Amino acid sequence: MTIAWRLLGFSGLWLILAGWDPASWIIGLPSVLLAAWLYGRLARQARLPSARLTLGFLSFFLIESVHAGTDVARRILRPRMRISPGLQTYRMRLANPTARVVFLDSISLLPGTLSADFVNREEIQVHALDATVDLAPELDDLERRVGRLFGEELKPVGGLHD
Amino acid sequence: MQTLLQALSLFLIGAGVFFFAVGTLGLIRLPDLFSRLHALTKADNLGLGLVIAGLLPWVADPWTALKLVLIWVLVMVSGATGSHLIAKRALRGDGEDLLE
Repeated sequence: MTIAWRLLGFSGLWLILAGWDPASWIIGLPSVLLAAWLYGRLARQARLPSARLTLGFLSFFLIESVHAGTDVARRILRPRMRISPGLQTYRMRLANPTARVVFLDSISLLPGTLSADFVNREEIQVHALDATVDLAPELDDLERRVGRLFGEELKPVGGLHD
Repeated sequence: MQTLLQALSLFLIGAGVFFFAVGTLGLIRLPDLFSRLHALTKADNLGLGLVIAGLLPWVADPWTALKLVLIWVLVMVSGATGSHLIAKRALRGDGEDLLE
């Protein structure tokens, strides 16, 4: 993303947050400049996925969010809660750093799983409310979707060990 | 039409409040830190999304609608990232008073 796009994007965000009042730019202008500079430093290799792919992922994400919320609510509301929490290890195949962050955050927002920690660069520990089920197929599917979003084709071998 | 929209909003916001309440109940009922994070991230994300969806038909202008959606996105991202960081610290046991 070029600097001009970055500035335009962050100015747009400021406009949404602060409204049209010109006086707001006393704080807005430095913030936009700072944000654009920081973005350049933090996300040097960041690539933004296309709008069409993003929309597709978004609809999947929204539906799964509803699943996640109702799933966790159902477990909590039972008189005897149906949980057996535990950790599982998953081998991540995504290479792009942005894709990895999206994957990790999606894990936490989708049903039954919570991204917890890195074992090393590839392996992550995932916490599940019900760890008696193998999480690998679900995580593999999610990782594939995130990969497609960022133009990464993943090999079919999923990493699954506990 | 107005009444229909009102009913829809009422339903969405009511459902949102329900999920917030369940998330809080989970915080009290669930046995350990990680399970509690589950309740917080997922129930609150859905709760806030529903409340905002219920408010959208009543905003004065499109900017306000964008602002509401932006708030949801920011809360969602910070919630997911925050819970990951809390879980990580707890697993490594190098946080302050995170483990029981």
